[in-house]
Amino acid sequence: MTRITPEDGIAIVTGAGSGLGRALARQLCDAGFTVVGTGRRAEALEETGAACADRFQPMPMDVSDFAAVERGFAESIARHGALALLVNNAAVYPKRDVFDETPELFWQSMAINLGGVYACSWAALQDMGPRGAGRILNVSSYADIAPLPASAAYSVSKGAQRVLTRALIADLFDRFPDIVITDWLPGALATDMGIPDGLPPETAAQWGVKLALMRDQSLNGTIFERDMELLPPRGLKAKLKDALMMRRPRPRRL
Amino acid sequence: MTSPFDTEWDAIVIGAGMGGGTLGRALAEAGQKVLFVEKGAEGLRSERNGLTEVFVPEARAARGLWPDPLHVSLDGVETQFFAPLGSGPGGSSVFYAATLERPERHDLDDLPGQPHPTGGWPVGYDAMAPWYDRAARQFRVHGTPDPLSPEAPMPLGMPPPLHQAEAALTDSLRAAGLHPYRTHTGIANIEGCENCLGRKCPKVCKMDGRSAGVEPALATGNAQLASGLAVTRLLSDGTRITGAEVRADGETRQLRGKRYILAAGALHSPRLLLASTSEAAPKGLANSSGLVGCNLMLHVDERFALWPKRGVPDSGATKAISFRDFYHREDMRLGAVQAMGIRASYGEMVHFLNRMFDLRGQPRLRTLSRPLAAVAKTLLGHAHLFVGLMEDFPYAHNRVLYDPATPEKLAVTYTLSDELRARRRAFRKALRKGLRGHRHLFLSMTPELNWGHPCGTLKFGHDPAHSVTRADGRAHDLENLWVADASFMPTSMGVNPSLTIAANALRVASHILEDQR
Repeated sequence: MTRITPEDGIAIVTGAGSGLGRALARQLCDAGFTVVGTGRRAEALEETGAACADRFQPMPMDVSDFAAVERGFAESIARHGALALLVNNAAVYPKRDVFDETPELFWQSMAINLGGVYACSWAALQDMGPRGAGRILNVSSYADIAPLPASAAYSVSKGAQRVLTRALIADLFDRFPDIVITDWLPGALATDMGIPDGLPPETAAQWGVKLALMRDQSLNGTIFERDMELLPPRGLKAKLKDALMMRRPRPRRL
Repeated sequence: MTSPFDTEWDAIVIGAGMGGGTLGRALAEAGQKVLFVEKGAEGLRSERNGLTEVFVPEARAARGLWPDPLHVSLDGVETQFFAPLGSGPGGSSVFYAATLERPERHDLDDLPGQPHPTGGWPVGYDAMAPWYDRAARQFRVHGTPDPLSPEAPMPLGMPPPLHQAEAALTDSLRAAGLHPYRTHTGIANIEGCENCLGRKCPKVCKMDGRSAGVEPALATGNAQLASGLAVTRLLSDGTRITGAEVRADGETRQLRGKRYILAAGALHSPRLLLASTSEAAPKGLANSSGLVGCNLMLHVDERFALWPKRGVPDSGATKAISFRDFYHREDMRLGAVQAMGIRASYGEMVHFLNRMFDLRGQPRLRTLSRPLAAVAKTLLGHAHLFVGLMEDFPYAHNRVLYDPATPEKLAVTYTLSDELRARRRAFRKALRKGLRGHRHLFLSMTPELNWGHPCGTLKFGHDPAHSVTRADGRAHDLENLWVADASFMPTSMGVNPSLTIAANALRVASHILEDQR
């Protein structure tokens, strides 16, 4: 399987100022990539870059500021060259009871977790489309399957993000099969947004980087959880056929 | 870029497909100021999609496909489906398999023993031959000469080497007494060639109306492309076209040029003339003959699976082989046979069966398509798919319809003639006999019309009462209106129409340039 290399272009990681985004950005830098990292706090981005020699380029921005995203992506591409990889990682998880979650606050989270993914993907496609190639990895979650209390905006936005992946593929795959979009669920991490006894983000980032640099067309629309592919659910008929043909669909492992 | 509305163009080319692209390039290279008006969107050059059954018009348009279904009344049965029609620079040709075959002499000329159904084209084979040569060079056609042809071959490039299965198939066809040759194909085979048969080529490799027409035209600096702009009506003072009406940003505006060239394809060009009625021309423009939209011809596709001889290694689908052994048999005009370049895939089969059931007015049988396709795929296995393209004859009652109450509705009416059914039987019989010794299977029960090959709806001829344009491509009725797409063809020939469209477009362009002087 061919892999994306620094010769193919730069990487943009959103939400690179902390947690998983920081770990992904640093490991991509270690792999030789020029990494543009976005985040709302400039100092946090500086800190991410401190361990990256000069390959890390901080781009302070809020992904819900769509005009800033468009401008920032265009400038990064003009300065550093083709965009080979976008990791949509930026997200917020404000835990608020429904009586505290005003429509305005709800919508702010949606604008970051869903609007930001769309804005960044759209800005990336302005470069990837004409070249007919590119890679987008969306850091996803199953928060929508059984929403926790006090998590309305997060659950809705994260569920919608996975629908967005499928919708983008419906628009793009037949025309641009080499623009490869995958959802990745890193699992519960020991980050500000995660849980104290979760996985260290550096460990999860190793899988994320590996997956992000794979560009096989068959990865389009797949979902990976941690280091393992999650196969789409199969109906009774398909299961029966598999049993008769004595074959078992095998998930890919990173 | 200046606004196309501010310029008085030397030529306004309506439709930027195989005909329009080729003609526009010739004019632009001769220094003419050319405007391509193309209804479809320009899209991105990196696109690699093929045809799709997706029914969302906006999604179809974004893929360079005609957005709406074709409504067909076939032997009185009403049906609708998505015809393989492109809409965008290159038109349908960006989706073609780049088969660029020259017809036989009897396709154009009335010969002893091979009478022509219309008495012959107004421009004969020998007069067309140099234009075929020029088109073959422009589209970088490669292949080997047809061993059965007594004619001097077109200039053909060296085809890529045959793979093992193709070589074995060629040998066994030869052993059966047939005369296979390398299909004449317009693919430049540049480095990284993905052999984009049936889909858009992201490189300048497959030679189509876009890569060998519109793009080189734009590169001259003399041409401009106005995409996403549909001409709704042509205006006339009785002797000349005075303007082309378009809808732009919700406004009706006019484009002006010295000459107007219709190249919107055989389904759309006549519709534009029929839509351009006035008190002086109640039947539409250029229609004193009443033949605008009539004589619609398609081809009858006779598909069959052909199995390689036992023991031949499988090395993929072939597109490389053609033969013309059954082109004209027992006093009947039949057609060329060529490998289709695809495998009998499950998806193809489902699509094909759905279409067949729809056209027979039995859409309910669609539920059978999937299980049937699964069986067929197993049965067909490693067979090569071939198609015999059988000529369709002109009948005035087979025609493109235009209803001013529903101007957007693309509709045709077509009746299968007894004569066509009889020739089809003869074609199958000849194929069956000729392929003896090869395991084969015919894949259609009823005549399958090729909706990607429409032609004949603005036929050229010497007699203004029986044709729409003159031999040089200019309308009998209007001084500055010309036709440069498949509409001009008086008969449909026994080969794919693309090379003939290109050759004729080059010929018409030369007449326009002569007229200029």
